[in-house]
Parts: sequence; structure tokens; C-alpha cells
Amino acid sequence: MLVQQLVNGLTLGAIYSLIALGYTLVYGILTMINFAHSEVLMLGAFMALGLAALLPAVFGTGLVGLAGMFVLSMAGAGLINVIIERFAYRPLRHVSRLAPLISAIGVSIILQNGVFIWVSTQSLPFPEPVAIGQVQVFGATISSLQVIILASALLLMGLLHFFVEYTTIGKAMRACSDDIQTAGLMGINPNYIIALTFFVGGALGGAAGVLYGMNYGSIKYNLGFLPGAKAFTAAVLGGIGNIRGAVLGGFILGFLEVLASGYIPNGAQWRDVIAFTVLIVVLLVRPSGLLGEKLAEKV
Amino acid sequence: MKKILNRRWTPWVALALAAAFPFLAATLDAQYLVRVGGVIGLFMLLGLGLNFTLGYAGLFDLGFIAFYAIGAYTTAIAMRAGVPAPAALVLAVLMSLAIRALLGLTILRLRGDYLAVVTMGFGEIARLTINNLDGLTNGPKGLQVAPWRPLAFFSADPNIQYYLLILLAVVGGVMASSRIEDSRVGRAWIAIREDEIAARLSGIPVRHYKLLAFTISAAFAGLAGGLFAQWEQFVTPESFVFWESILVVSIVVLGGMGSIPGVLVGALVLVGFPPVMQWKLSADWINYRYLFFGLILVLVTLFRPQGILPSSRREAELTS
Amino acid sequence: MTVRKALAVAAVICVAAACGPKDTSVKIAVAVPLTGDMGTEGQGLRRAVELAVEEANASGRFPYKLVAAPYDDRADPKEAVNVANLIISDPRVVAVVGHYNSGCAISAAKVYARAPVAMVSPAATNPEVTAQQNSPDWAGPRMVFRVVPTDDVQGSYAATFAGGKLGRKRMALLHDKTAYGQGLAEQFKKTFVAQGGRIVSEDGVSVGDKDFKALLTKIKNDPSKAEGIYFGGLYTEAGLLLKQMRELGLKDPFAFISGDGSMTFGLFDVAGDAADGGYLSIVGVPADELPSAKKFVDDYKARFPDDERKPFDHFGYEAANIIMAAMERAGGPDRVKVIQELRKTKHEGVLGTTVFDDKGDTTSKIVTMTRAVAKKRAFDSVR
Repeated sequence: MLVQQLVNGLTLGAIYSLIALGYTLVYGILTMINFAHSEVLMLGAFMALGLAALLPAVFGTGLVGLAGMFVLSMAGAGLINVIIERFAYRPLRHVSRLAPLISAIGVSIILQNGVFIWVSTQSLPFPEPVAIGQVQVFGATISSLQVIILASALLLMGLLHFFVEYTTIGKAMRACSDDIQTAGLMGINPNYIIALTFFVGGALGGAAGVLYGMNYGSIKYNLGFLPGAKAFTAAVLGGIGNIRGAVLGGFILGFLEVLASGYIPNGAQWRDVIAFTVLIVVLLVRPSGLLGEKLAEKV
Repeated sequence: MKKILNRRWTPWVALALAAAFPFLAATLDAQYLVRVGGVIGLFMLLGLGLNFTLGYAGLFDLGFIAFYAIGAYTTAIAMRAGVPAPAALVLAVLMSLAIRALLGLTILRLRGDYLAVVTMGFGEIARLTINNLDGLTNGPKGLQVAPWRPLAFFSADPNIQYYLLILLAVVGGVMASSRIEDSRVGRAWIAIREDEIAARLSGIPVRHYKLLAFTISAAFAGLAGGLFAQWEQFVTPESFVFWESILVVSIVVLGGMGSIPGVLVGALVLVGFPPVMQWKLSADWINYRYLFFGLILVLVTLFRPQGILPSSRREAELTS
Repeated sequence: MTVRKALAVAAVICVAAACGPKDTSVKIAVAVPLTGDMGTEGQGLRRAVELAVEEANASGRFPYKLVAAPYDDRADPKEAVNVANLIISDPRVVAVVGHYNSGCAISAAKVYARAPVAMVSPAATNPEVTAQQNSPDWAGPRMVFRVVPTDDVQGSYAATFAGGKLGRKRMALLHDKTAYGQGLAEQFKKTFVAQGGRIVSEDGVSVGDKDFKALLTKIKNDPSKAEGIYFGGLYTEAGLLLKQMRELGLKDPFAFISGDGSMTFGLFDVAGDAADGGYLSIVGVPADELPSAKKFVDDYKARFPDDERKPFDHFGYEAANIIMAAMERAGGPDRVKVIQELRKTKHEGVLGTTVFDDKGDTTSKIVTMTRAVAKKRAFDSVR
């Protein structure tokens, strides 16, 4: 049973981590909560659904088609995030810290209701990307889907790590995250870097949306809200603004939820209470999250 | 616009209009708006409450609706146990204050967005606990509350009774807020919000004042929750979802943080807009109600990023 | 200046959206969640009532034009009361089909009582929705009716079915922590235990949860060896439960039983092939076996080819038809007369015969158990 629960927790944690990365990247640069991120995730899933109907003609089914669907949905979600930033956040960037948050809430409402009105008011079935097989490992049932989800999430996290740590643009991103004004003085165009960050964050959100659709088999206009709120919690748990922290927080939250429902009697209905209580306790011990750096006194 | 607002008589005219509104509405055949006005009033109270935490002390709270829920459930449970309605309201306020103080003592050392996510967590913990403690709260099935008809001598319509009662509470809330705002305490909060370290160095006991602002907020929410329970005669966990916390934050930020008239106008716009849309939109457009709401939120923020009626003190600081 | 700009934009939106020509038709209000998380179910109910009203208009039964007027309560009790106040202030509304959630229905009914306007609920199953009318605090006549049976009927039937026909001794209980789901589950437990069965575990989940694998793994590996799950809740969660059960290897003869909130084609969209073999109870007789119900199914498909029926749509359709029949007997769109006629209802329709008892609840106790067949997207009744 433990092995099975660990597998369950890994899948859940992988999806949370991917979403949490989107929050943390944006937060790292702008110290703003991108409230519309959950909607970007939802749109990623819907784009993948649309592409799944179109793509087999181009790429064929199987892994190539899957990869095509993935990459295009990620690009689309990233682009949407960039557009949101340009029109809803950038004009407010230097005005006040909370104004962009309200604008983000507005964008989130618009996107969710837009999909509700113009796309579908109901759950839509999400096609199974490849034939699903199952294997038994140590008494646990693992589906090929879970393997795909975990593998692609880890691959994306690896790519992100490489991108941020070893490329020039990644270096610029880190510089902006440290101090955006000084970075500007060093010849980095902050608008470009911010847009890029939103693109990367959105693309990761889009990928999470696709994985989410594949894992649960159906998608709906309001699918983004709950995992979005939870992933945001995960990002804070790990230390918001910290990339490794977001991944760690996502997996911890995934395991926490699995353990609460799986091992505590009547735990399912108290699961979120337990998760949030742990969050509060962790933050009381480490006020900047698990891996977060101590905040400067004056932000 | 600015000139009108700064006139001495402006608040009195607004108050007279608000008090006369139920009777105006009756002649205009718009009694529906009296109900809507009452709900707006409840959210004005919530906004005034959160304004202490968010507007004055600058503490970001995403779970404020928990205290509205605590007020509502305290009132409902007390009244079912036979406590008279006005005493139940007092209990609601005290209970909200007590829980808020305990929460504040625990979490106020957190900063900025860490505080936001912890309060969000508390909001969800409160709602889920209410939903899960079936023995005390009857869980998802909710609690019936016996009707209380204050001002029955004045009007037979419960909507008018509660409208006036809530108006009274809002007037009291505004008076209390402005008194506190202009006091030593209020100035200390502004100092903390603008520069915590400088405030501390000037000898302001920062922790103490933060806790005070955080706690006072709950009195407003508890009162609003109690009135809500009595008016609806029924409470259920469905009323206290995360979205409502976001709505209250939006009211304060969109209205103008730290600005009392701003908060009132914020509640008027954000809480009034969907019901008026409900009334005026034709059947074909009814699904678009919240799409328009989102648009309003974005547009107003883009055009008035400081809030619709920012506090004069804040505005002066920002333009200088 | 900028304020003016914003106001101008708002005004344009209002004008563009509002203000059709004044009409003089008679309205039946549909007060359900049309947006928000429950919007899916509310939109279904709206379509069902529209269909009933359109059919009545086409039949020429009424000398005036009937309209189904939609109101959005967003599944928020506060907005439900707002909407109720709006409805009673419109003299052209004769009666209300609504609300969807019990919390909304209980609060809003108090407002309708003051008018009084009849409210016929197609989905709210909390006993309190109608029971509150017998309280001394009730502010009006008895005018709340309900075409959907309360939870006891279905929950008991499912328990007898699980213990008798399926011969299960140990069941795991799940519900979605809503008034509907928890009510069903509690009733199932009561009957199942009374008949000598054992409930080995009891868990509440949240509406909107997607991942039940941890919970299902626990049930699967529990030493008490449950032989099946009874789930009180709606099809989205039921579908995910079925799908994840199958993925974890909980297959036949491990049983999955749920109520009418899960018996909708949406279940096949969510669960896919995994829906196969799920047992779902439905109040009344399945559509295929009742000619009037068959007609509803076909008409709905023809009128709304792009939209699947939702679990409570036939109740909404029936509620509207019962109201219209009462209007016919009352001889005109008079609110009070319609309430009086509704109490005398004896309606033959898609649910079989509907008669209201003195609380306003339907006396129909017919429940049918069906089994999902994924390949033909259908529910076959189990004999």
C-alpha cells in the first residue's frame, strides 16, 4: 500500500510542482501573485483538446503527436500569459503592489467566464494520448500515464533548471529577480525579461494543464482554480520566488494530501485542513518557506 | 468630483439619501434594490473591517470571510440556544474578536504574501471545519435561525428593517473608523505601513499596533455575519467560500486602501453591479454577468490604480 | 476624466446588453446557478424548462405567451435571496422552478413565502426545504413543492439493492460533503446496517476534488475488505472515482453504486470506458420504459443537439409542466390560485405520477436501479 500511495503522491506532486513554478517565476521577478495563472493552466488544457482533434492528421497518433500537442499548447499558454502581462499588469507595474492583483482577479474571471460562454458549459472528455497499459511494481499498480506525467514533468523541470542556470537569458532572468533596477542599468531590458518570464511560466502552466487533462480524463471551464490555489500554497511552502522551493513544495503538498486521505481515518474531508495547518506551522518555523531566502526588512 | 467630495455636507447628504432610499424605491417600484442595498451594506461593513488590516496596517489578508462565517454561525448557534437576538450579535462580535486575536498572536510575525497565503489557509480551514463539524453546525445542511424582526413598528417588510439596521451599523462603523483613523493609533498604523523600521525606531510598538489593527477588523466582520444570519434566517457553509474573501479585498483595493469613502464606494460598485445586471440584462445576456464583472474589475483598476477614491493622505504621499 | 471614461465604458456595456422591448408575456422563473462552479447543472435545468415552455406555447394551451425567465443564483445563498426578491417584485412571474442547491432553496423559499409565489424545486433534496413550512415561523402559506424525492427513498433503495440483489456484506461509504451527497450516504448507511450489512469506512470528499487515488488505495488495501463503494454525490466526482477505481484494479465484482446525481451522460465523458458496470439509481422509471419520458429524451436531443442532458433536467422539465398544468386549472396566471392548484396536483409525466403530500414532497417512491454500459452510452435497468 505504501508504494502505491507514494506513486499516487508523486503524480499529484509533479502536477502541483509544474503549476507552482509558474507562480514562483513571476513572483521572483515582480513580487506579484499572478492570480490568472490558474486560468492559463485551464486554457492550456483546452488548447490541447482542440489540438488533439486537429493534430493526428499532421503528426499522426502516438508519441510524436503527443509531443506536438504538448509543445504547441505550451507555446499557446505562454503567449496568453505574455498578453495578459502586457495589457493587464504592465500599466500597473509601478503604481501599487495590490492593483495588479485586482487586475489579475478580473482577468481570471473574464477568462473563466469566456470559456464557459464561448467554449463549453460542461465537462469535455479529454482523449487518452496513448494506449494505457499497467504494470505491477511491488504490489502497486502503475499506469503508463503516470509514467508519462512524471517523466514529462521532470523533463520540463530539468530544462527549466538548465535554462535558468546555464544560458545567458537565464542569467538575465536571475539578475532581474535579484534586483530589477540594477539589472536594467547593466543593459538588460527588463520588459523583455519580464515578458519572457511570463512566457516560460505560462508554458509550464500550459504543460501542467495538458497533464492534468490526461490524468483525469476530462476538462471543464473551472478546472484551474483548485489546483491553482493549491500550487500557489505549495510555492509559498517551498519559499516563493525560489525555483527549487516550488518543486519541493509541490511534491510535499502532493504527499501530504495522499497521506491525509490514505492513512488518517476520515482524513479525506479533513485533508485540506491538514495541508493548510502544516503550511502554517512550517511558515511559523521558517517564515520564508522551506528554501526561501530571508526577506530583506524593507521590500 | 473632488470638490463635491470634500464639502462638509457631502456625508450628510449621502446619509440622508441612503436613509430615504427604501421609501424612494417603493415609489419607483424597485423594492428589489432595498435588498441589494442591504447586502451592499453588509459588504461595506466587511470592507470597513478589512480596511483596518489591509488599508491602515498594510497586512494582506485573503481569508477575511472566515470571520464573517464565525459571526454568522455564532449568532445562529446562540439564538438556537435561546440567547436573545441582540445579545447574540454581541456574542458574534466577541467570538470573532477572540479568534482573530488568537490567530493574530500566532501568525502576525509573517510578512507580506506569506501572511496572505496563511490567512487564505485559515479561511479554508474555517469553512471546512464548519462543513465537517456536523454535531455543532449541522454540516452542509445548514442551520435555521428563528426570525428576529427589529424595527417591526416601523415597517413590516424585513428587507426594509434590515436595510435600516445595517445602515445604522455602517454609520457606526464609519464613525468608529474615522475616529480611530485620526487618533494616535491611526497615525501609528500609517507609519508602520509606510516604513516599518522607521516606525519602530520612532518608538512605535509595532507588533502591538499590528495586532490591534488585525483584531479590530474582526468586530466588523462578526457584526456583519450576525446580521446576515438573522436576516436570512439560515446559515450554510456555501456562503463563506474563498471567492467572498477575494471580493472583500477587491472592495478595499478598488475603492482606495485606507480611505473610508473609498471602501464604501468600492462595496457599492462591486457588490451592486452583479444584482443590477441581473435586473437589467435580458435573458440572452444573463450568462455574461460575471464576464462583465471581470471587465469592470480590470478597467477600473487600469483607469484608477490608486482606487476609485484614494485616501487624501496616501494620494498626497504618492504625488509628492 | 478617467472616471468619466470608465463610466462611459460601463454605460456602453449596460446599454448594449440591456433593454429589449417591453413584453407582456407571462413568466415562469428558472432560478438556478447559470454561472460559477454549478453553472453546468443550472444551464441544463434552464434548457429543460425552456423546452417545456416552448412545447406549451406550441400546443396553444394558453391564451397568452409563456416565457421561461432565467435567474442566476450562482449557487450562492445570498444571491439566491437577491434573485428571489427580484422575482417577487415582477408581477408577471407566476411561479418559480428552482433552486438547485438546498442552501439556496431554503433561504429563497422564505422570500417566496412572503409574496406568495409557488416554488417547485427540481433538485434540492435537503428535507428542510419543505419541512420548514411547518415551522411556526413560516411567513406565508404552504407554497414549496419538490418533484425530486428526498434522500431517504433513494438511499434506502440502493442499500436494499446492495445487500439483497448484489449480496454485499461490507460496503465503503463516500460522499461529497454536500447536503445532497451526505444525505444520500447517511440514508444508505442506516438501511444497510439495519439489514445486517457493515459499513467498513466512511469518508467525505470535496466537490471539485480530482484525485481520489489515495482514498481508493486505502479502501482497496483495508483489511476489512470492502466489497463495493456507495457514493453520494454528482457525476463529475463519481466519474473520476470510477476511472481511478479501475486504474487501481478495483474491478468487477467490486461494486460502485451511486444515485441520480451521477446518472447522466456526463458520467461517460468523465469516466470513459471505466463507467462500465457502475450501478446508478434513478427516481421513477427509466426513460426507455415510459413513453412520456422517451418523448422528453427525444425532444431534448432534437432541440439541443449540442448539449447533453444533465442529471436533474427531467425534474426541471416536470416541475415546469406541473406548474403549467396548475396554471391551466387555475384558469389564469394568478399566483395564489396556482399555489392552491399545485397542492391538488396529480400529474402524469416523465416521472410517472406525481402527487404532493401535505409537506409538498412528491409521494412517488419508485426507484429503479440501472447499470452503465459505456459502449452504447446508456443505462440499462437492472431487474
